[in-house]
Amino acid sequence: MPMASLSRWTMSYFAAALAFLLAAEALIIAGVGYPGAGLLEPATLIVVHVVAIGWLSLAMAGALLQFVPVLVARPLAFPGLALPALLALLSGLLLLCTGFASLAGWIDWPVALMPLAAVTLLAGFLLLGLMLVATLLSARPVTLFARFVLVGLACLLATVLSGATFAAILSGSGGWLGEIALLPDGLPFHALLGFGGWLGLIAFGVSYRLLVMFMMAPEPPAGQVRLVLIFGSLGLGLALAGLLAPLTGLEIGAGFSVAPLAALALAGAFYGRDILALYRARRRKALEINMLASIPAFAALGIGLPLLPVATAAGAPDAWLASLTFLLAFGWLGGLTLAQLMKIVSFMTWLETYAPRLGRGPAPRVGDLVAMPRAGLWFTLYYAGVALGTVALAAGVATAFQYAMLPALFGTAGIAGELMRVRRLSEIKAEQRPPFHECPRLLLARAEERRQPHVDNRTAASPRA
Amino acid sequence: MSAPLERLVEIALRDVLDPEMDRSVVDLGLIYDITATPEGAVAITMTTTTRGCPLAGFLKEAVAAAAGAINGITSVDVALTYEPAWEPAMIAAE
Repeated sequence: MPMASLSRWTMSYFAAALAFLLAAEALIIAGVGYPGAGLLEPATLIVVHVVAIGWLSLAMAGALLQFVPVLVARPLAFPGLALPALLALLSGLLLLCTGFASLAGWIDWPVALMPLAAVTLLAGFLLLGLMLVATLLSARPVTLFARFVLVGLACLLATVLSGATFAAILSGSGGWLGEIALLPDGLPFHALLGFGGWLGLIAFGVSYRLLVMFMMAPEPPAGQVRLVLIFGSLGLGLALAGLLAPLTGLEIGAGFSVAPLAALALAGAFYGRDILALYRARRRKALEINMLASIPAFAALGIGLPLLPVATAAGAPDAWLASLTFLLAFGWLGGLTLAQLMKIVSFMTWLETYAPRLGRGPAPRVGDLVAMPRAGLWFTLYYAGVALGTVALAAGVATAFQYAMLPALFGTAGIAGELMRVRRLSEIKAEQRPPFHECPRLLLARAEERRQPHVDNRTAASPRA
Repeated sequence: MSAPLERLVEIALRDVLDPEMDRSVVDLGLIYDITATPEGAVAITMTTTTRGCPLAGFLKEAVAAAAGAINGITSVDVALTYEPAWEPAMIAAE
C-alpha cells in the first residue's frame, strides 16, 4: 500500500494561523494599534506580530512542511519536531504579546518575559528550519526552488535574531549587548527581512511550483526565475546590510531603505511577468477557487510593491507607508495564503480519504470537497475589506479602517468555516463518505501508513483473470 | 508482443482518473508505454505530473489494478519514470 506523503501537523498549523488572523482582525476592529497608536508603539507591535508570526508564519510553516518534501521528492527530515516547533512558536508569540502588553501598561507582568519570548520563538523557528533545511539539502542537486526557500530561511534567522535583540533591549536587559544595542535603527530592515524574505521570497519560489502544478502550465524558463531570485536576494542582502550597518559604525542615512525596496520591487516585476505568463499558458482552462482568489492578491502585489520604494524615496507620510504595507501583508501575502489554503486543505483531505480508492470505482474529485460559489463570496468580502482598509489607512481615517476590517473578518471566518467543512467532507454525498471513524480529523492528518477497510483492496499481485 | 492486449490495457486505464483534472491518466499523457506478451504479462511505464507527487504510489497501484482486472492478463508490472519529465504539452486535446 503506498503511503501518502502527508504532513501530520500541517492542519494544526493552519488552524492556529487562521485563529491568529481572526484575532488580528478583531484587534484592529477594536481599535488596537495603528492608526490609533503610533507605528512603533507596543499596541501596534502586538497586531503586527500576531499577523507576521501567528498568521503568516504559521501558515507558511504548515504549507512548507507539506510541500518541501513533495517538491524535492524526499521525506521530511525529523518529522517528530513539527509539534514541538508549533508549540514553541505558539507559546513564544503569546509571551511576546504579553511582553508588549506589559510595555503598553495594560497588564502588570514583568517585561523580562520579552527575552523569554524571543528565546522560545527562536527555538521554534530553529526546529522548523532544521526540518526544512535538512530536507532541502537531502536532495541533490539543490534546485532553484530550494534556493528560494533557503534564502528565505536565512532571512528568517536574521529576522528572529534581530527581533531577539530588540526584545532584550525593550525589556531593559540589553545592556550587555553593547554596540548591538544600536540595532533598533535597523527596525525597518527587521520587518523587511521578515515580510520580504521569509514570507515574500518563499511565497515567490513556492508559488512558481504550485501554480505550475495547479494550472497545468509549462515551467517558466529557469533563467527568468533565476532573475527573481537574484534581485530578491540582492534586496534582502541590502536589507541585512542596513540592519548590521550600525554595528560597523557606518552611517547609512535614512534613505538607505529605498535600495533594498527597489531591488525587491524589481524582483517582484520579473515575478509578476512570469505569473501572468503562467496564467495565460495554463492547460487547465477553468480556474479553480484558489487560482481565482489569488488574482486580487497578485494585483495587491502589483500595486503595493512598486509604490513602496517610491513612497519611501519621496518621504511619504507614515499613513501612506502603513497603507502600502497593509496592502502587501493582508492583500498579497494574506490573500494568497487564504486562497491556497483552500487548495492545500482540500487536496490533503482528498489524499487522506480517497487516494486509496483511486481507480477502484467512483470517487469525488478534489474540487468537489469545496463549496462553490459560497467560498467565492467569502473571498469577495475579505478582499473588499482589505481594499477599503488600504484606502482608509492612506486617508488616515482611523474609524473607517476599523469598519473596513469588518467584512474582512466575516470573509476570514467564512473561509475558516469552509475549510472545516472540507475536513468534515460536508460537500460529499453520504454514500461517498468513509465510515465515521475513518473520516479525516479536523486538526491532525492520518499520515500513518495503513489500509482503509472501506476500500476494495485489489492489488497487482492478484490479477482478475 | 500483443497489440490487442495493449489496446485493452489502454482502454482500461481510461477509467483511472486524475482527481484534480477528472481526466484519465492516458489522456493526461502519464502513460509512456504499454507492452504485453501473448501470455498476458503486461509492463507499463508511467510518470506523474511532478516528481515526488504524493499521489504517485496510489496512481501506480490504481494503474496496476485496472490493468490486472482485464481478462487474459496474468501479471502486471508498473514502472514509474521521470525520463522524460512530464509536461503539459503531453495532455491530449479535448
